[in-house]
Amino acid sequence: MSGTTLLAHGVGGSTDLPLPLSYALIGCVWALIATFAVVAVAWRTPRFDPDKPGRALPQWVSAAVDSAAVRAILAAAALAATAWVAVAAIWGPQDSDNALPGAFYVLLWVGLGAVSVLLGPIWRVISPVRTLWRLTHRRPGERGGATTDARRRYPAGLGYWPAAAGLFGFVWLELASPDPGSLTAIKVWILCYALAMFAGAAVFGPRWFARADPFEVYSVTVSRLSPFRRNRQTGRIVVGNPLDHLPTMPVRPGTVAVMAVLLGSTAFDSFSQFAGFRNFVDRHGAAVPLVGEAGGASALRTVGLMGFVLIVGASFTAAARATAGITPQQRREMPGRLAHCLIPIVVGYIFAHYLSYLIERGQETLVRLADPLGRGWHLLGLDTGDVVYLLSTNPTLLWGIKVACVVLGHVVGVIAAHDQALRVIPVGHQLSGQLAMMAVMVAYTLTGLYLLFGG
Amino acid sequence: MIAVKLGIAPVVAVAGVLAAGCAGPAPTSGTARTSPAGPAVSATEPAAAPPPAPAAGPVITVTIAAGVVTPTNAEADAVVGQPITLAVSSDAADSIHVHSIPEHTFEVQPLPDQRFEFTVEVPGSVEVELHDLNRTLVTIAVRPQ
Repeated sequence: MSGTTLLAHGVGGSTDLPLPLSYALIGCVWALIATFAVVAVAWRTPRFDPDKPGRALPQWVSAAVDSAAVRAILAAAALAATAWVAVAAIWGPQDSDNALPGAFYVLLWVGLGAVSVLLGPIWRVISPVRTLWRLTHRRPGERGGATTDARRRYPAGLGYWPAAAGLFGFVWLELASPDPGSLTAIKVWILCYALAMFAGAAVFGPRWFARADPFEVYSVTVSRLSPFRRNRQTGRIVVGNPLDHLPTMPVRPGTVAVMAVLLGSTAFDSFSQFAGFRNFVDRHGAAVPLVGEAGGASALRTVGLMGFVLIVGASFTAAARATAGITPQQRREMPGRLAHCLIPIVVGYIFAHYLSYLIERGQETLVRLADPLGRGWHLLGLDTGDVVYLLSTNPTLLWGIKVACVVLGHVVGVIAAHDQALRVIPVGHQLSGQLAMMAVMVAYTLTGLYLLFGG
Repeated sequence: MIAVKLGIAPVVAVAGVLAAGCAGPAPTSGTARTSPAGPAVSATEPAAAPPPAPAAGPVITVTIAAGVVTPTNAEADAVVGQPITLAVSSDAADSIHVHSIPEHTFEVQPLPDQRFEFTVEVPGSVEVELHDLNRTLVTIAVRPQ
Protein backbone atom coordinates (compact mmCIF):
# COMPACT_ATOMS: atom_id res chain seq x y z
CA MET A 1 0.00 0.00 0.00
CA SER A 2 2.52 2.60 1.13
CA GLY A 3 4.75 1.88 -1.80
CA THR A 4 7.10 4.80 -1.66
CA THR A 5 6.44 6.38 1.71
CA LEU A 6 9.82 7.26 3.11
CA LEU A 7 9.59 6.60 6.81
CA ALA A 8 12.50 7.56 8.98
CA HIS A 9 14.23 4.28 9.83
CA GLY A 10 11.32 2.39 8.36
CA VAL A 11 9.09 3.09 11.33
CA GLY A 12 6.65 5.96 11.31
CA GLY A 13 6.13 8.79 13.76
CA SER A 14 8.30 11.75 14.60
CA THR A 15 12.02 11.76 15.29
CA ASP A 16 13.95 13.37 18.15
CA LEU A 17 14.17 17.13 18.32
CA PRO A 18 17.68 18.26 17.41
CA LEU A 19 20.10 18.89 20.25
CA PRO A 20 20.26 22.59 21.22
CA LEU A 21 23.58 24.29 20.57
CA SER A 22 24.26 24.80 24.28
CA TYR A 23 24.01 21.06 24.97
CA ALA A 24 26.27 20.22 22.04
CA LEU A 25 28.86 22.79 23.13
CA ILE A 26 28.86 21.64 26.74
CA GLY A 27 29.36 18.08 25.49
CA CYS A 28 32.29 19.19 23.31
CA VAL A 29 33.93 21.00 26.22
CA TRP A 30 33.65 18.00 28.51
CA ALA A 31 34.99 15.66 25.84
CA LEU A 32 38.01 17.92 25.24
CA ILE A 33 38.79 18.42 28.92
CA ALA A 34 38.56 14.71 29.61
CA THR A 35 40.80 13.88 26.67
CA PHE A 36 43.53 16.27 27.75
CA ALA A 37 43.27 15.09 31.33
CA VAL A 38 43.65 11.47 30.28
CA VAL A 39 46.54 12.05 27.90
CA ALA A 40 48.47 14.48 30.02
CA VAL A 41 47.99 13.66 33.68
CA ALA A 42 46.63 10.12 33.92
CA TRP A 43 48.49 6.97 34.95
CA ARG A 44 51.74 5.92 33.33
CA THR A 45 51.58 2.15 33.70
CA PRO A 46 48.88 -0.01 32.10
CA ARG A 47 46.01 -0.67 34.47
CA PHE A 48 43.44 -2.74 32.66
CA ASP A 49 43.89 -6.43 32.25
CA PRO A 50 41.39 -9.03 31.01
CA ASP A 51 43.10 -11.56 33.30
CA LYS A 52 41.97 -9.77 36.44
CA PRO A 53 39.73 -12.09 38.42
CA GLY A 54 36.79 -9.73 38.88
CA ARG A 55 34.18 -10.16 41.59
CA ALA A 56 32.71 -13.63 41.24
CA LEU A 57 28.95 -13.90 41.18
CA PRO A 58 27.34 -16.74 43.17
CA GLN A 59 27.97 -20.16 41.68
CA TRP A 60 24.32 -20.64 40.77
CA VAL A 61 24.56 -17.73 38.29
CA SER A 62 27.28 -19.45 36.29
CA ALA A 63 25.45 -22.76 36.63
CA ALA A 64 22.23 -21.21 35.31
CA VAL A 65 23.94 -19.45 32.40
CA ASP A 66 25.77 -22.63 31.43
CA SER A 67 22.83 -24.94 31.90
CA ALA A 68 21.61 -26.58 28.73
CA ALA A 69 18.02 -26.28 29.91
CA VAL A 70 18.19 -22.50 30.42
CA ARG A 71 19.84 -22.07 27.05
CA ALA A 72 17.25 -24.26 25.37
CA ILE A 73 14.43 -22.29 26.97
CA LEU A 74 15.92 -18.96 25.86
CA ALA A 75 16.50 -20.27 22.34
CA ALA A 76 12.97 -21.64 22.16
CA ALA A 77 11.53 -18.34 23.40
CA ALA A 78 13.48 -16.40 20.76
CA LEU A 79 12.38 -18.83 18.07
CA ALA A 80 8.76 -18.47 19.17
CA ALA A 81 9.06 -14.67 19.12
CA THR A 82 10.52 -14.89 15.60
CA ALA A 83 7.63 -17.07 14.50
CA TRP A 84 5.17 -14.60 16.06
CA VAL A 85 6.72 -11.71 14.13
CA ALA A 86 6.71 -13.83 10.97
CA VAL A 87 2.99 -14.50 11.35
CA ALA A 88 2.36 -10.78 11.84
CA ALA A 89 4.55 -9.95 8.86
CA ILE A 90 2.84 -12.37 6.50
CA TRP A 91 -0.79 -12.38 7.63
CA GLY A 92 -0.97 -9.05 9.47
CA PRO A 93 -2.01 -5.70 7.99
CA GLN A 94 0.21 -4.98 4.98
CA ASP A 95 0.68 -1.30 5.78
CA SER A 96 2.42 0.88 8.32
CA ASP A 97 0.44 -0.82 11.12
CA ASN A 98 2.45 -3.99 10.62
CA ALA A 99 4.71 -4.98 13.51
CA LEU A 100 7.58 -6.15 11.31
CA PRO A 101 9.53 -2.89 10.80
CA GLY A 102 9.42 -2.05 14.50
CA ALA A 103 10.40 -5.58 15.49
CA PHE A 104 13.23 -5.61 12.96
CA TYR A 105 14.70 -2.12 13.22
CA VAL A 106 13.92 -1.32 16.85
CA LEU A 107 13.48 -4.44 18.98
CA LEU A 108 16.03 -6.58 17.15
CA TRP A 109 18.67 -4.01 16.22
CA VAL A 110 18.60 -1.48 19.05
CA GLY A 111 17.25 -3.92 21.63
CA LEU A 112 19.92 -6.52 20.88
CA GLY A 113 22.61 -3.87 21.31
CA ALA A 114 21.19 -2.71 24.63
CA VAL A 115 20.82 -6.22 26.05
CA SER A 116 24.29 -7.20 24.84
CA VAL A 117 25.87 -4.16 26.51
CA LEU A 118 24.05 -4.83 29.76
CA LEU A 119 24.30 -8.61 29.98
CA GLY A 120 26.67 -10.06 27.39
CA PRO A 121 26.71 -11.66 23.95
CA ILE A 122 23.21 -13.07 24.12
CA TRP A 123 22.66 -13.52 20.38
CA ARG A 124 24.90 -16.61 20.44
CA VAL A 125 22.32 -18.20 22.73
CA ILE A 126 19.07 -16.98 21.20
CA SER A 127 19.95 -16.65 17.50
CA PRO A 128 17.05 -18.27 15.61
CA VAL A 129 19.32 -19.32 12.74
CA ARG A 130 21.64 -21.08 15.18
CA THR A 131 18.66 -22.74 16.85
CA LEU A 132 17.22 -23.97 13.56
CA TRP A 133 20.61 -25.18 12.46
CA ARG A 134 21.09 -27.07 15.73
CA LEU A 135 17.67 -28.65 15.44
CA THR A 136 18.28 -29.85 11.90
CA HIS A 137 21.84 -31.04 12.51
CA ARG A 138 21.35 -32.92 15.75
CA ARG A 139 22.34 -36.52 15.26
CA PRO A 140 20.49 -39.23 17.17
CA GLY A 141 22.02 -39.96 20.55
CA GLU A 142 24.30 -36.96 20.41
CA ARG A 143 24.25 -34.26 23.06
CA GLY A 144 24.41 -30.58 22.29
CA GLY A 145 23.97 -30.92 18.57
CA ALA A 146 26.22 -28.08 17.44
CA THR A 147 29.02 -30.31 16.28
CA THR A 148 31.73 -30.09 13.76
CA ASP A 149 30.37 -31.40 10.53
CA ALA A 150 32.03 -28.57 8.64
CA ARG A 151 33.03 -29.53 5.15
CA ARG A 152 35.76 -26.94 5.15
CA ARG A 153 37.67 -24.96 7.72
CA TYR A 154 36.60 -21.35 7.91
CA PRO A 155 39.46 -19.37 6.33
CA ALA A 156 41.12 -17.30 9.07
CA GLY A 157 41.87 -14.54 6.57
CA LEU A 158 38.16 -13.94 6.08
CA GLY A 159 37.75 -12.94 9.74
CA TYR A 160 34.75 -10.74 10.37
CA TRP A 161 34.48 -9.49 6.80
CA PRO A 162 31.28 -11.43 6.02
CA ALA A 163 29.68 -9.94 9.14
CA ALA A 164 30.88 -6.46 8.18
CA ALA A 165 29.22 -6.96 4.79
CA GLY A 166 26.03 -8.18 6.49
CA LEU A 167 26.04 -5.20 8.85
CA PHE A 168 26.44 -2.89 5.90
CA GLY A 169 23.51 -4.66 4.26
CA PHE A 170 21.41 -4.00 7.34
CA VAL A 171 22.25 -0.30 7.66
CA TRP A 172 21.84 0.07 3.90
CA LEU A 173 18.30 -1.26 4.15
CA GLU A 174 17.51 1.06 7.03
CA LEU A 175 19.20 4.24 5.79
CA ALA A 176 19.84 4.10 2.06
CA SER A 177 17.43 1.70 0.37
CA PRO A 178 14.58 3.11 -1.73
CA ASP A 179 11.95 2.36 0.93
CA PRO A 180 13.18 1.24 4.36
CA GLY A 181 9.60 0.79 5.58
CA SER A 182 8.63 -1.59 2.79
CA LEU A 183 7.50 -4.89 4.24
CA THR A 184 8.56 -6.66 1.07
CA ALA A 185 12.06 -5.22 1.28
CA ILE A 186 12.44 -6.31 4.91
CA LYS A 187 11.13 -9.78 4.13
CA VAL A 188 13.50 -10.17 1.19
CA TRP A 189 16.39 -8.97 3.36
CA ILE A 190 15.58 -11.49 6.10
CA LEU A 191 15.23 -14.26 3.53
CA CYS A 192 18.63 -13.43 2.04
CA TYR A 193 20.11 -13.31 5.54
CA ALA A 194 18.69 -16.71 6.46
CA LEU A 195 19.86 -18.26 3.20
CA ALA A 196 23.36 -16.83 3.62
CA MET A 197 23.51 -18.12 7.18
CA PHE A 198 22.39 -21.65 6.37
CA ALA A 199 24.47 -21.92 3.18
CA GLY A 200 27.60 -20.75 4.97
CA ALA A 201 26.98 -23.03 7.93
CA ALA A 202 26.52 -25.97 5.57
CA VAL A 203 30.05 -25.37 4.30
CA PHE A 204 31.91 -24.06 7.35
CA GLY A 205 29.87 -25.43 10.23
CA PRO A 206 28.65 -23.31 13.15
CA ARG A 207 31.80 -21.17 13.14
CA TRP A 208 30.16 -19.40 10.21
CA PHE A 209 27.56 -17.95 12.61
CA ALA A 210 30.31 -16.57 14.86
CA ARG A 211 32.07 -14.83 11.99
CA ALA A 212 29.38 -13.99 9.46
CA ASP A 213 26.12 -13.39 11.33
CA PRO A 214 25.91 -9.59 11.50
CA PHE A 215 23.70 -9.69 14.58
CA GLU A 216 26.03 -12.07 16.39
CA VAL A 217 29.15 -10.05 15.64
CA TYR A 218 27.34 -6.84 16.62
CA SER A 219 26.18 -8.48 19.85
CA VAL A 220 29.63 -9.88 20.67
CA THR A 221 31.32 -6.59 19.86
CA VAL A 222 29.19 -4.33 22.05
CA SER A 223 29.09 -6.99 24.81
CA ARG A 224 32.76 -6.15 25.47
CA LEU A 225 31.43 -3.11 27.32
CA SER A 226 29.35 -5.27 29.64
CA PRO A 227 30.22 -5.39 33.34
CA PHE A 228 29.70 -9.17 33.22
CA ARG A 229 32.38 -11.46 31.86
CA ARG A 230 33.98 -14.78 32.58
CA ASN A 231 37.01 -15.32 34.73
CA ARG A 232 39.53 -16.67 32.26
CA GLN A 233 40.89 -19.26 34.69
CA THR A 234 37.77 -20.58 36.34
CA GLY A 235 35.17 -19.83 33.68
CA ARG A 236 32.91 -18.42 36.37
CA ILE A 237 30.83 -15.37 35.62
CA VAL A 238 32.18 -12.29 37.36
CA VAL A 239 31.25 -8.65 37.54
CA GLY A 240 34.04 -6.20 36.99
CA ASN A 241 35.28 -3.04 35.33
CA PRO A 242 34.19 -2.95 31.66
CA LEU A 243 37.61 -1.48 30.89
CA ASP A 244 39.14 -4.82 31.86
CA HIS A 245 36.65 -6.50 29.57
CA LEU A 246 37.14 -4.28 26.48
CA PRO A 247 40.54 -5.65 25.38
CA THR A 248 39.03 -9.14 25.04
CA MET A 249 37.47 -8.04 21.75
CA PRO A 250 38.86 -10.60 19.29
CA VAL A 251 41.10 -8.99 16.70
CA ARG A 252 40.49 -10.57 13.33
CA PRO A 253 40.54 -9.33 9.77
CA GLY A 254 37.49 -7.10 9.43
CA THR A 255 37.28 -6.02 13.09
CA VAL A 256 37.91 -2.40 12.18
CA ALA A 257 35.43 -2.68 9.31
CA VAL A 258 32.71 -3.79 11.73
CA MET A 259 33.41 -0.74 13.93
CA ALA A 260 33.49 1.55 10.91
CA VAL A 261 30.09 0.31 9.69
CA LEU A 262 28.51 0.74 13.13
CA LEU A 263 29.89 4.22 13.76
CA GLY A 264 29.79 5.53 10.18
CA SER A 265 26.20 4.44 9.62
CA THR A 266 24.95 6.08 12.81
CA ALA A 267 26.65 9.32 11.80
CA PHE A 268 25.22 9.07 8.30
CA ASP A 269 21.76 8.60 9.79
CA SER A 270 21.98 12.10 11.31
CA PHE A 271 23.65 13.57 8.26
CA SER A 272 21.01 12.24 5.89
CA GLN A 273 18.36 14.23 7.79
CA PHE A 274 20.11 17.52 6.93
CA ALA A 275 18.04 19.65 4.56
CA GLY A 276 21.12 20.30 2.43
CA PHE A 277 21.74 16.62 1.79
CA ARG A 278 18.07 15.94 1.15
CA ASN A 279 17.88 18.78 -1.35
CA PHE A 280 20.93 17.36 -3.08
CA VAL A 281 19.35 13.90 -3.26
CA ASP A 282 16.01 15.29 -4.46
CA ARG A 283 17.72 17.33 -7.13
CA HIS A 284 20.10 14.74 -8.49
CA GLY A 285 18.27 11.49 -7.84
CA ALA A 286 16.68 11.59 -11.28
CA ALA A 287 20.06 12.15 -12.94
CA VAL A 288 21.35 8.70 -11.97
CA PRO A 289 20.93 6.55 -15.08
CA LEU A 290 18.89 3.36 -15.41
CA VAL A 291 17.31 3.13 -11.95
CA GLY A 292 14.56 5.74 -11.92
CA GLU A 293 14.21 8.58 -9.46
CA ALA A 294 13.67 6.57 -6.28
CA GLY A 295 16.50 4.25 -7.26
CA GLY A 296 18.72 7.20 -8.05
CA ALA A 297 18.04 8.76 -4.67
CA SER A 298 18.84 5.42 -3.08
CA ALA A 299 22.08 5.23 -5.07
CA LEU A 300 23.14 8.68 -3.84
CA ARG A 301 22.33 7.75 -0.24
CA THR A 302 24.28 4.52 -0.70
CA VAL A 303 27.31 6.49 -1.82
CA GLY A 304 26.91 8.79 1.19
CA LEU A 305 26.60 5.88 3.60
CA MET A 306 29.59 4.14 2.08
CA GLY A 307 31.54 7.40 2.28
CA PHE A 308 30.85 7.77 6.01
CA VAL A 309 31.89 4.18 6.68
CA LEU A 310 35.08 4.56 4.62
CA ILE A 311 35.99 7.84 6.30
CA VAL A 312 35.66 6.29 9.76
CA GLY A 313 37.61 3.18 8.74
CA ALA A 314 40.37 5.10 6.96
CA SER A 315 40.79 7.78 9.62
CA PHE A 316 40.92 5.23 12.42
CA THR A 317 43.39 3.01 10.58
CA ALA A 318 45.59 5.97 9.67
CA ALA A 319 45.58 7.31 13.23
CA ALA A 320 46.40 3.90 14.68
CA ARG A 321 49.26 3.47 12.25
CA ALA A 322 50.51 6.97 12.96
CA THR A 323 51.36 5.92 16.51
CA ALA A 324 54.90 7.11 17.14
CA GLY A 325 57.82 5.05 18.42
CA ILE A 326 56.83 1.53 17.34
CA THR A 327 58.25 -1.01 14.92
CA PRO A 328 56.79 -1.49 11.42
CA GLN A 329 55.40 -4.87 12.49
CA GLN A 330 53.61 -3.26 15.45
CA ARG A 331 52.42 -0.49 13.18
CA ARG A 332 50.57 -2.99 11.02
CA GLU A 333 48.95 -4.52 14.07
CA MET A 334 47.96 -1.24 15.69
CA PRO A 335 44.50 -0.77 14.10
CA GLY A 336 43.43 -4.17 15.43
CA ARG A 337 45.01 -3.66 18.82
CA LEU A 338 43.20 -0.34 19.27
CA ALA A 339 39.90 -1.37 17.68
CA HIS A 340 38.27 -2.16 21.03
CA CYS A 341 38.68 1.49 22.03
CA LEU A 342 36.02 2.37 19.48
CA ILE A 343 33.40 0.16 21.14
CA PRO A 344 32.44 2.68 23.86
CA ILE A 345 32.26 5.47 21.28
CA VAL A 346 30.05 3.33 19.04
CA VAL A 347 27.79 2.27 21.90
CA GLY A 348 27.54 5.81 23.30
CA TYR A 349 26.60 7.20 19.92
CA ILE A 350 24.11 4.42 19.15
CA PHE A 351 22.40 4.98 22.50
CA ALA A 352 22.37 8.75 22.04
CA HIS A 353 20.81 8.24 18.67
CA TYR A 354 18.36 5.40 19.18
CA LEU A 355 17.48 5.36 22.89
CA SER A 356 14.14 7.10 22.40
CA TYR A 357 13.47 4.75 19.50
CA LEU A 358 14.08 1.73 21.66
CA ILE A 359 11.91 2.96 24.50
CA GLU A 360 9.05 4.59 22.59
CA ARG A 361 8.95 2.80 19.23
CA GLY A 362 9.68 -0.35 21.20
CA GLN A 363 6.49 0.12 23.19
CA GLU A 364 4.52 0.85 20.01
CA THR A 365 5.91 -2.31 18.47
CA LEU A 366 4.86 -4.39 21.46
CA VAL A 367 1.34 -2.98 21.11
CA ARG A 368 1.36 -3.95 17.44
CA LEU A 369 2.65 -7.40 18.29
CA ALA A 370 -0.25 -7.75 20.71
CA ASP A 371 -2.52 -7.41 17.69
CA PRO A 372 -0.44 -9.22 15.07
CA LEU A 373 -3.23 -9.74 12.54
CA GLY A 374 -4.80 -6.31 12.86
CA ARG A 375 -8.04 -7.67 14.28
CA GLY A 376 -8.29 -5.32 17.21
CA TRP A 377 -6.85 -7.73 19.75
CA HIS A 378 -5.32 -6.42 22.95
CA LEU A 379 -3.26 -9.39 24.13
CA LEU A 380 -1.94 -8.82 27.65
CA GLY A 381 -4.21 -5.78 27.68
CA LEU A 382 -1.80 -3.75 25.53
CA ASP A 383 -3.28 -0.70 23.85
CA THR A 384 -1.86 2.27 21.96
CA GLY A 385 -3.00 4.45 24.85
CA ASP A 386 -0.55 2.62 27.11
CA VAL A 387 2.53 3.90 25.29
CA VAL A 388 4.42 6.36 27.50
CA TYR A 389 6.38 8.98 25.56
CA LEU A 390 8.56 9.81 28.53
CA LEU A 391 11.63 10.94 26.58
CA SER A 392 9.86 12.82 23.78
CA THR A 393 7.71 14.78 26.21
CA ASN A 394 10.80 15.72 28.23
CA PRO A 395 13.27 16.87 25.57
CA THR A 396 15.65 18.35 28.12
CA LEU A 397 15.94 14.95 29.79
CA LEU A 398 16.52 13.29 26.42
CA TRP A 399 19.12 15.88 25.41
CA GLY A 400 20.93 15.42 28.69
CA ILE A 401 20.97 11.65 28.22
CA LYS A 402 22.22 12.01 24.64
CA VAL A 403 25.12 14.26 25.57
CA ALA A 404 25.96 12.06 28.55
CA CYS A 405 26.02 8.94 26.34
CA VAL A 406 28.30 10.55 23.76
CA VAL A 407 30.68 12.09 26.28
CA LEU A 408 30.80 9.01 28.49
CA GLY A 409 31.44 6.77 25.49
CA HIS A 410 34.18 9.12 24.38
CA VAL A 411 35.86 9.23 27.78
CA VAL A 412 35.81 5.46 28.19
CA GLY A 413 37.20 5.07 24.66
CA VAL A 414 39.99 7.55 25.34
CA ILE A 415 40.86 5.84 28.62
CA ALA A 416 40.99 2.47 26.89
CA ALA A 417 43.17 3.86 24.10
CA HIS A 418 45.51 5.50 26.61
CA ASP A 419 45.91 2.27 28.53
CA GLN A 420 46.54 0.27 25.39
CA ALA A 421 49.07 2.84 24.21
CA LEU A 422 50.98 2.42 27.48
CA ARG A 423 51.15 -1.30 26.78
CA VAL A 424 52.45 -0.92 23.25
CA ILE A 425 54.36 2.33 22.95
CA PRO A 426 57.88 2.37 24.44
CA VAL A 427 58.65 4.73 27.32
CA GLY A 428 59.61 8.14 26.02
CA HIS A 429 57.08 8.11 23.19
CA GLN A 430 54.03 7.39 25.30
CA LEU A 431 52.65 10.91 25.36
CA SER A 432 53.36 11.92 21.78
CA GLY A 433 52.67 8.43 20.47
CA GLN A 434 48.97 8.51 21.21
CA LEU A 435 48.22 12.02 19.99
CA ALA A 436 46.99 10.96 16.55
CA MET A 437 44.49 8.48 18.00
CA MET A 438 43.26 11.01 20.56
CA ALA A 439 42.79 13.60 17.81
CA VAL A 440 40.72 11.18 15.76
CA MET A 441 38.57 10.21 18.73
CA VAL A 442 37.94 13.87 19.53
CA ALA A 443 37.04 14.41 15.89
CA TYR A 444 34.51 11.55 16.00
CA THR A 445 32.90 12.87 19.15
CA LEU A 446 32.71 16.50 18.05
CA THR A 447 31.32 15.41 14.68
CA GLY A 448 28.79 13.21 16.46
CA LEU A 449 27.63 16.08 18.65
CA TYR A 450 27.47 18.40 15.65
CA LEU A 451 25.32 15.88 13.79
CA LEU A 452 23.00 15.48 16.79
CA PHE A 453 22.78 19.28 16.96
CA GLY A 454 21.53 19.12 13.41
CA GLY A 455 24.03 21.33 11.66
CA MET B 1 3.78 32.57 11.13
CA ILE B 2 6.47 35.08 10.30
CA ALA B 3 9.07 32.72 11.67
CA VAL B 4 7.90 30.04 9.30
CA LYS B 5 8.09 32.26 6.29
CA LEU B 6 11.57 33.33 7.22
CA GLY B 7 12.46 29.69 7.70
CA ILE B 8 11.11 28.54 4.39
CA ALA B 9 11.97 31.43 2.14
CA PRO B 10 15.77 30.99 2.22
CA VAL B 11 15.45 27.26 1.62
CA VAL B 12 13.25 27.81 -1.39
CA ALA B 13 15.59 30.50 -2.66
CA VAL B 14 18.55 28.15 -2.28
CA ALA B 15 16.53 25.39 -3.91
CA GLY B 16 15.81 27.67 -6.84
CA VAL B 17 19.44 28.61 -7.24
CA LEU B 18 20.54 24.97 -7.05
CA ALA B 19 17.91 23.89 -9.53
CA ALA B 20 18.81 26.68 -11.89
CA GLY B 21 22.50 25.85 -11.58
CA CYS B 22 21.94 22.17 -12.08
CA ALA B 23 22.62 20.93 -15.56
CA GLY B 24 20.79 17.64 -15.15
CA PRO B 25 17.06 18.29 -15.29
CA ALA B 26 15.46 20.12 -18.19
CA PRO B 27 15.38 23.93 -17.94
CA THR B 28 11.61 23.77 -17.41
CA SER B 29 12.23 22.23 -14.04
CA GLY B 30 14.47 25.14 -13.13
CA THR B 31 11.87 27.72 -14.00
CA ALA B 32 9.14 25.68 -12.39
CA ARG B 33 11.12 25.58 -9.19
CA THR B 34 12.00 29.22 -9.07
CA SER B 35 8.60 30.62 -9.94
CA PRO B 36 6.66 29.11 -7.03
CA ALA B 37 9.20 30.70 -4.71
CA GLY B 38 6.76 33.63 -5.04
CA PRO B 39 3.97 32.12 -2.95
CA ALA B 40 6.30 31.16 -0.12
CA VAL B 41 7.75 34.65 0.14
CA SER B 42 4.51 36.52 -0.46
CA ALA B 43 2.59 34.11 1.70
CA THR B 44 0.13 36.80 2.67
CA GLU B 45 -2.58 34.79 0.94
CA PRO B 46 -3.33 32.50 3.92
CA ALA B 47 -3.40 35.55 6.20
CA ALA B 48 -6.04 37.09 3.95
CA ALA B 49 -8.02 33.84 4.06
CA PRO B 50 -10.59 33.16 6.84
CA PRO B 51 -9.28 34.15 10.28
CA PRO B 52 -7.03 31.49 11.80
CA ALA B 53 -7.87 29.66 15.03
CA PRO B 54 -6.80 31.28 18.29
CA ALA B 55 -3.08 30.93 19.08
CA ALA B 56 -2.62 29.75 15.52
CA GLY B 57 0.54 27.90 14.71
CA PRO B 58 2.48 27.93 11.48
CA VAL B 59 0.75 28.04 8.11
CA ILE B 60 2.73 26.22 5.47
CA THR B 61 1.88 27.17 1.92
CA VAL B 62 2.32 24.27 -0.46
CA THR B 63 2.11 24.53 -4.23
CA ILE B 64 2.02 21.51 -6.47
CA ALA B 65 2.23 22.34 -10.15
CA ALA B 66 3.31 20.24 -13.11
CA GLY B 67 4.76 17.53 -10.90
CA VAL B 68 6.90 19.96 -8.91
CA VAL B 69 6.18 20.87 -5.32
CA THR B 70 7.36 23.77 -3.23
CA PRO B 71 8.62 23.95 -0.63
CA THR B 72 10.75 20.85 -0.15
CA ASN B 73 12.84 20.05 2.92
CA ALA B 74 11.80 23.30 4.56
CA GLU B 75 11.89 23.85 8.30
CA ALA B 76 9.28 25.24 10.65
CA ASP B 77 8.62 25.50 14.37
CA ALA B 78 5.50 24.80 16.38
CA VAL B 79 4.37 24.00 19.88
CA VAL B 80 2.48 20.95 21.13
CA GLY B 81 -1.27 21.39 20.74
CA GLN B 82 -0.91 24.36 18.41
CA PRO B 83 -2.98 24.06 15.23
CA ILE B 84 -0.66 23.67 12.23
CA THR B 85 -2.14 24.50 8.84
CA LEU B 86 -1.18 23.27 5.42
CA ALA B 87 -2.50 25.59 2.69
CA VAL B 88 -2.29 23.55 -0.48
CA SER B 89 -2.83 24.48 -4.10
CA SER B 90 -2.43 21.57 -6.41
CA ASP B 91 -3.04 20.55 -10.01
CA ALA B 92 -2.94 16.84 -9.19
CA ALA B 93 -4.33 14.42 -6.62
CA ASP B 94 -1.82 13.25 -4.03
CA SER B 95 -1.74 12.55 -0.33
CA ILE B 96 0.10 14.23 2.48
CA HIS B 97 1.48 12.15 5.33
CA VAL B 98 2.27 13.85 8.62
CA HIS B 99 4.72 11.66 10.53
CA SER B 100 3.70 12.71 13.99
CA ILE B 101 2.40 10.68 16.92
CA PRO B 102 -0.28 9.76 16.00
CA GLU B 103 0.14 10.11 12.25
CA HIS B 104 -2.18 12.14 10.01
CA THR B 105 -3.01 11.60 6.34
CA PHE B 106 -4.69 14.17 4.11
CA GLU B 107 -5.96 13.58 0.59
CA VAL B 108 -4.99 16.37 -1.76
CA GLN B 109 -7.43 17.16 -4.59
CA PRO B 110 -6.46 18.95 -7.80
CA LEU B 111 -7.86 22.22 -6.46
CA PRO B 112 -6.52 25.58 -5.29
CA ASP B 113 -6.74 26.78 -1.69
CA GLN B 114 -7.22 23.57 0.25
CA ARG B 115 -6.54 23.84 3.97
CA PHE B 116 -5.61 20.97 6.24
CA GLU B 117 -5.24 21.55 9.93
CA PHE B 118 -3.77 19.27 12.56
CA THR B 119 -2.17 19.34 15.97
CA VAL B 120 0.75 17.34 17.30
CA GLU B 121 0.51 15.98 20.82
CA VAL B 122 3.98 14.45 21.32
CA PRO B 123 7.03 16.70 20.84
CA GLY B 124 9.52 15.79 18.13
CA SER B 125 10.67 16.52 14.61
CA VAL B 126 7.62 15.92 12.45
CA GLU B 127 8.11 15.30 8.75
CA VAL B 128 5.34 16.31 6.40
CA GLU B 129 5.62 14.29 3.27
CA LEU B 130 3.97 14.34 -0.13
CA HIS B 131 3.39 10.71 -0.91
CA ASP B 132 3.11 10.31 -4.68
CA LEU B 133 5.80 12.84 -5.55
CA ASN B 134 7.92 11.32 -2.76
CA ARG B 135 9.13 14.62 -1.33
CA THR B 136 9.47 15.88 2.21
CA LEU B 137 7.70 19.24 2.27
CA VAL B 138 8.73 20.47 5.67
CA THR B 139 10.14 19.20 8.94
CA ILE B 140 8.34 20.82 11.86
CA ALA B 141 10.18 20.99 15.17
CA VAL B 142 7.31 20.60 17.63
CA ARG B 143 8.41 21.64 21.11
CA PRO B 144 6.65 21.11 24.41
CA GLN B 145 4.55 23.96 25.78
